[in-house]
Amino acid sequence: MSAVRVLVCFKVTPDFEALREADWAAAATQGVQTRYVRRVLNCFDESALELALGLSDAAARLGVTVELGALSIGGREVDPYLKTLVALGYERAARVAAGADGDIADTDAAGVGVGAAAGAAGVDGAGLDRAASGLDFAPAVVASIIASYVLRADHSDLLVLGCRSGPGDGGTVPFRVAEALGWPCLTRVTSIEPLGDGRLRVGAMVDDGLLRVTLRPPCVLAVGNALVSHLRAPTLKDRLERRERRIDVLAAADLGLDIAAELRREACVPTALETIDRRRRGAVIAGATPRDKARTLFDSYLSDLIETL
Amino acid sequence: MHLSREAIVEGLQRIVGPADVITDRRILVESSVDNFRKLQNIFDVHTMPVPAAIVMARSTEQVAAILRFAGEHTINVIPRTGGTATEGGLESAVPDSIIIDGSAMNRIVDIDAYDMQATCQCGVPLQALEDRVRELGLTTGHSPQSKPVAHMGGLVATRSIGQFSTLYGGIEDMVVGLEAVFPGGIVTRIKNVPRRAAGPDIRHVVIGNEGALCFITEVTVKLFPYFPENNVFLGYTLKDMKTGFEVLRAVMVNGYKPSVARVYDPGDAGLHFSHFAADDDCVLLFMAEGPAGIAKATADGIAAIVAGFAECTRVDSAYIETWFNDLCWGPDKITAEDERIRQTLNVNRTTEISADWSSINDIYQAARARIIAEIPDITMMGGHSSHSYINGTNMYFNYFFNVVGVGPEEETAKYYLPIIGIICEETLKRGGSIVHHHGMGKARAPWVRDEYGSSYYILETLKHAFDPEGIMNKGTIFPL
Amino acid sequence: MRFAALLDGTVATAAVQAQALAGFLGDGLRGDLAGETFVLYCDERDRERLVDLAPTRDVRLVKTAARRPERMVDCLTAAARGGDTALFLAAAGATGTEIVTRLACRAGGGVLTDALTIEARPQRLVCRKNVYSNHLVGRFELRARPWCVTVDACWNDTRRSPSPSHTILSESDESGDAGRPGATTDTRATGATGAAPFADAELLEAPSSGDLAKSRFLVVAGYGAASREGTERIADAARRMGADFGVSRPVAMNAWAPMDRLMGVSGTRAAPALCIVAGASGAPALYWGIEKAGLIVAVNPDERAPIVANSDAALLDDAVAVLEELAEIVAGRRTHE
Repeated sequence: MSAVRVLVCFKVTPDFEALREADWAAAATQGVQTRYVRRVLNCFDESALELALGLSDAAARLGVTVELGALSIGGREVDPYLKTLVALGYERAARVAAGADGDIADTDAAGVGVGAAAGAAGVDGAGLDRAASGLDFAPAVVASIIASYVLRADHSDLLVLGCRSGPGDGGTVPFRVAEALGWPCLTRVTSIEPLGDGRLRVGAMVDDGLLRVTLRPPCVLAVGNALVSHLRAPTLKDRLERRERRIDVLAAADLGLDIAAELRREACVPTALETIDRRRRGAVIAGATPRDKARTLFDSYLSDLIETL
Repeated sequence: MHLSREAIVEGLQRIVGPADVITDRRILVESSVDNFRKLQNIFDVHTMPVPAAIVMARSTEQVAAILRFAGEHTINVIPRTGGTATEGGLESAVPDSIIIDGSAMNRIVDIDAYDMQATCQCGVPLQALEDRVRELGLTTGHSPQSKPVAHMGGLVATRSIGQFSTLYGGIEDMVVGLEAVFPGGIVTRIKNVPRRAAGPDIRHVVIGNEGALCFITEVTVKLFPYFPENNVFLGYTLKDMKTGFEVLRAVMVNGYKPSVARVYDPGDAGLHFSHFAADDDCVLLFMAEGPAGIAKATADGIAAIVAGFAECTRVDSAYIETWFNDLCWGPDKITAEDERIRQTLNVNRTTEISADWSSINDIYQAARARIIAEIPDITMMGGHSSHSYINGTNMYFNYFFNVVGVGPEEETAKYYLPIIGIICEETLKRGGSIVHHHGMGKARAPWVRDEYGSSYYILETLKHAFDPEGIMNKGTIFPL
Repeated sequence: MRFAALLDGTVATAAVQAQALAGFLGDGLRGDLAGETFVLYCDERDRERLVDLAPTRDVRLVKTAARRPERMVDCLTAAARGGDTALFLAAAGATGTEIVTRLACRAGGGVLTDALTIEARPQRLVCRKNVYSNHLVGRFELRARPWCVTVDACWNDTRRSPSPSHTILSESDESGDAGRPGATTDTRATGATGAAPFADAELLEAPSSGDLAKSRFLVVAGYGAASREGTERIADAARRMGADFGVSRPVAMNAWAPMDRLMGVSGTRAAPALCIVAGASGAPALYWGIEKAGLIVAVNPDERAPIVANSDAALLDDAVAVLEELAEIVAGRRTHE
């Protein structure tokens, strides 16, 4: 039985939840400053990485080989994740250093640091964080990189990635890649199981329910709210045994791509950020006990309203 | 006279009324463990004896009456407030225990900005007190990671320490006076004075007793001025942990008191600082605070000292400041961590010890090497030093392992206790202390005699004197 | 300038899509545009109902196989290549995202999903959408036509009426496998044989979240429920008050409640008249799910939780305790009516 060659794409992003209200309030005029916050795996990509490992485990029990590969776009901040994936059994681990021209942690560097691509898009950069890869709002370029990697370097036949990622949350990259590769694509995937003959049984949330389908690679699976959402941890022994495995760092040019030119061609261009004011009255209801407070709430706000509901 | 569970409940109801006696089975089962065996709660597996009841005490008089009742019938009592203990101190080690919960005693009694003291009942969350005094431009100076959820009673009972201890000290340096109730219902109040030499300092019988001697009902702590606008952060990377300890020592012995002074080994640094540190980097960081002149002088002095260590490379202070702002454990982080454990069976544990400067690195290296060699399924083995003194520092071992081949209820036996054993052995053999700030609890109680040596006589006599019936938190500090 | 709206009548959400599109065309779209709606259907019995839902007067009916969005893409690509249509609009959702993205790729245009508002200018489409997990709104410009856009789910709550009368401009049948009019010979997305890429499709569990989206009285529980038992107690209190029940992401991911109860960016969006957020901090990702509620009540012991400032009234107390007390009051009141 032939092997299934899987590529999982993942994104390492700043932990937006570690920013504070004051940081968001300042964003419209000063940009979103994420240079100093820790990085995390995009949650849907993390599910994708773990689902792929689960697929490999289940396939092994059926006697099918699954070859796992991982790809990200970014600088050295991605390397710890790639090393972890190698330790977990991913045979191929690579990043494309597009737009991330160097180490994020330039000491005492002022401004928004790396990202020469910032100017290339012809954008008023006010309000836009270019401290990461410069590709945050460039899904066409991201898709182009992934597709080129698959076609030129990886030759995988099952692509798994998160259905969307911040900061743009557009959800378009999986379909863009599917278009470039000529493959079908299923989104909001919640489960992936092997059927033993090269086919897969895949669960996905659709607009009116949970769909279960059988499909045969090649295809793109974009992972949504899977209950499996955390990546397992490799042991120190795993890391030691696999530490000689290479992590490939490619430049965009290696894939035949000119990122600056691609950015100039981006059909959707960010221009500004606006803060959102969600504040309401926030009137605190006094009371000594939960019962007192509930009673005051009911009497002051709800008694008429509830009758209409 | 051994009472049945029903009789215990009835007795308690007569003291506090039925509404304040909790007998809901699910709540009792969850309360039979603390964070030491939290896997039980995460996986809904329960092996510990179930308490007979949780009784919510609302006054010192009620606490006294409950302790009298427990004494008359030799019922094991477990004092609790915020419930954030990590060493088994809150576990019910014997059947039909009573948990006395003081979290309803949550009144801030007084805040005195002239005498720089705040008095609160045992159930006041530290965060609540801190928020109140901040409004006056003051701080308690006490900031353990559990600050959002821990209460004052428990923080004093465990001799807790906070992130800024290098400047403000641990809880023992902050407590002024207190009120505690002893077995037999004896209420004692230690008055608030700045210092006295009227015999031994009896506060230290209460501070750190972990509920094995008495129940703390009220605490008075010092207040300090708060100058967050003067905070200065410094961060460095370096390759060698031994050098990291040397730098910390140099800072301390040259007379500087940063509020924060830490060195992380590469494994632990990787959890927090991978966005600016390489995977073989240690991370050294400092925070200086206080009046402007002092904060600046402290920061400048430290920078000059570190500059003398060529191996240290400075990083942008903004990394350190950003990291620090997100450090405490709110409920959302705790929930997310529980979920991660449930899915991955990868468990994070910590063990913290202290030792003098000449021993600390040896302890760190030896314990780490042994754990990696002897314990299976380790996924990370590292740690950091975070509380320094003129004569030594702590080592906070931080480690993760996968639970393989055993149920969650066997995690402590297969992994956690053996690791604690290795750390304790390597520490004791070099004259260090097996517990820096989490408390002995029940987890490290088996090593209590080794920890104390001949001075165990003093500790043991306190226990016999104050708790002759042995009703106070069986298994804590003194093994069963 | 002309636009084409897309109404996917092959799925059960057609009415919601139609509402969203009607609302958006009325209030979310600025610019001098006139257009038509492509109405997809697979069952003849649905034709009339679907045409009645269409948000524009002019309608093009397209018969298609169910769950074959790539067929729709083929059909729309042909329309796009005609050159008249500047803007293609679909409602929020997986199908809409797939269609507009693939269409933009094939027709060489720009795509933007989950638009809050758009403004058509001669050379570009100015769009606004939520970014950074709903912490901010981003402004974007689509420069290359056709502009392919999905409408943010916040438009699902509008109460716009569909167009009063309809004219069917054309009908086509894309449901067969061979020789489909307007189809490309492109084998992309359909595999070499043009056969469906997915076989044995089973639709399970129409989610009860459909109810949540339309809820008038909603209780949302967060991690402050502290346990599965706490979550169930809040759910029970909600039920006794006659309220629907939703949860925040930590609750769903801890399996304290089923995933289809999830509210917020990763789940459902609702615009109830009354929403009680119990034990959740109200982070933007969740808050987006309920921000259009008429009255928001927060129950949270932490007065610094964002939900407190973003609510109309706040009770600084334990979620389970307050909800149970409130349920008694409401239920008691109801039995006395």
